Amino acid sequence: MSGPGLAGSVEGNHSVAQSNNRRTPSGKSGATSKGVQPKAGQSKTPQPKPAAAKGSPAAKKPAAGRQSVAAARRSSNGNNRTQLIIGAIAVVVIIAIIIFGLVLNKKETAVQGEGYGASTQSVATVAEGVVTVAKPGATPGKTIDVFEDALCPICSEFERQFGQQMNQAIDQGDLAVNYHMLNFLNPRSFSGDYSTRAAAALLCVAQEGGTQPGLYLNYHSALFSTDNQPAEGGSADLTNEQLAELATTTGAPASAASCITAGTNIAAATAAADASSAALQAATGRIATPTVLYNGAPVSTTVDWLSTLLGQ
Amino acid sequence: MIGLLARLGLAAVWLISGIIKAVDPRTTVVAVRAYQIFPESLVGTIAGILPFLEIALGVLLVIGLATRLTAVLSAVVLVAFIAGVISAAARGLSIDCGCFGGGGDVAAGQTAYTEEILRDLGFLALAVYLIVRPDTPLSVDRWVRRRTGQPA
Repeated sequence: MSGPGLAGSVEGNHSVAQSNNRRTPSGKSGATSKGVQPKAGQSKTPQPKPAAAKGSPAAKKPAAGRQSVAAARRSSNGNNRTQLIIGAIAVVVIIAIIIFGLVLNKKETAVQGEGYGASTQSVATVAEGVVTVAKPGATPGKTIDVFEDALCPICSEFERQFGQQMNQAIDQGDLAVNYHMLNFLNPRSFSGDYSTRAAAALLCVAQEGGTQPGLYLNYHSALFSTDNQPAEGGSADLTNEQLAELATTTGAPASAASCITAGTNIAAATAAADASSAALQAATGRIATPTVLYNGAPVSTTVDWLSTLLGQ
Repeated sequence: MIGLLARLGLAAVWLISGIIKAVDPRTTVVAVRAYQIFPESLVGTIAGILPFLEIALGVLLVIGLATRLTAVLSAVVLVAFIAGVISAAARGLSIDCGCFGGGGDVAAGQTAYTEEILRDLGFLALAVYLIVRPDTPLSVDRWVRRRTGQPA
């Protein structure tokens, strides 16, 4: 648009503006310091050098010098306004993307199968310390392995978001779940062995009351509900008596409660946790919960993982 | 040229980590919660905002819009991340930083706090470079400056 000579002189003024910007923390304060600069140049020692360099050609050609200073001042004012506008646009972009994200996030973390509630059809069977939950007589199209630690807060979140949807799929005979209870978070529990004791309690409920429809899943849900789950590094957790009491409240038979109180399945739960840890390590290369495996491969548990899996 | 590489490098970091977190929001909730810094009522909101803040910073850096402002925000977020990881390590938590997705509790021997902190310090260096020298080639900033710099 404009002549190359003009553009060149503007470019030159710009390099002055840029070097000013570089010395100051932001374009805005660069603007104020530049407005003050002539005065500052007189009083402060580090400043005079560029001022003198700019001043000496101006002294040779007074008219041209005055013009270029005026041009620089004009364009610097424009730059400051432009900088403000650019900053404002950037802030608006950030806010817009975050609002979009919050809306999306609400959808992505929504409870699945909301309203279905507790399982009413499922039964639990135990094989080598692993509890398999399915609808009796059904031949579920999909079987998954779920690895959890009773102390793991993420597992609680997983249960909150997908528990009802899994209950429904199991009750409909579409899904079977192998629950692997790990115990790697024992050291993070108040008692030092909560994960193992909770896993043992789940084994007791499965062994003594597994045929009772929905019982195992209900007890499992109760253990992971934020009302009952102890905190990692907390100042308390559930004793065996409390674990037994919770089982009784959920509807477990007295034999399950006494099994929990006596710690009958501690050794079995420990052995099962060791075996499941090894299996998880082999499948994923790490021990982290909750992890879902399907056909031995980890499933990324995004909001629609179960509906996608069941639809396959 | 170094400025352009720093800008695009930091942009890639934010876009990759932001997108990974955004597509797996429940894991992000868990990762944020695992630090045990925020009250439960805030965990969900922070986990919702964070991935998209990262993506927004990445987008602005890719196009080079308000580079210095974006670099300052990047540095602030990275310093917060580093503080979070140091805090987790100091409190003896066994967590994955969740920096690039994942996160949450891991077995005691599987933490990688030193590597995580060093990596974040590297990213922080990119941000600091851009704060000092925000003017980079192929940026909206430079394009706008050229356009508005021309006298009417």
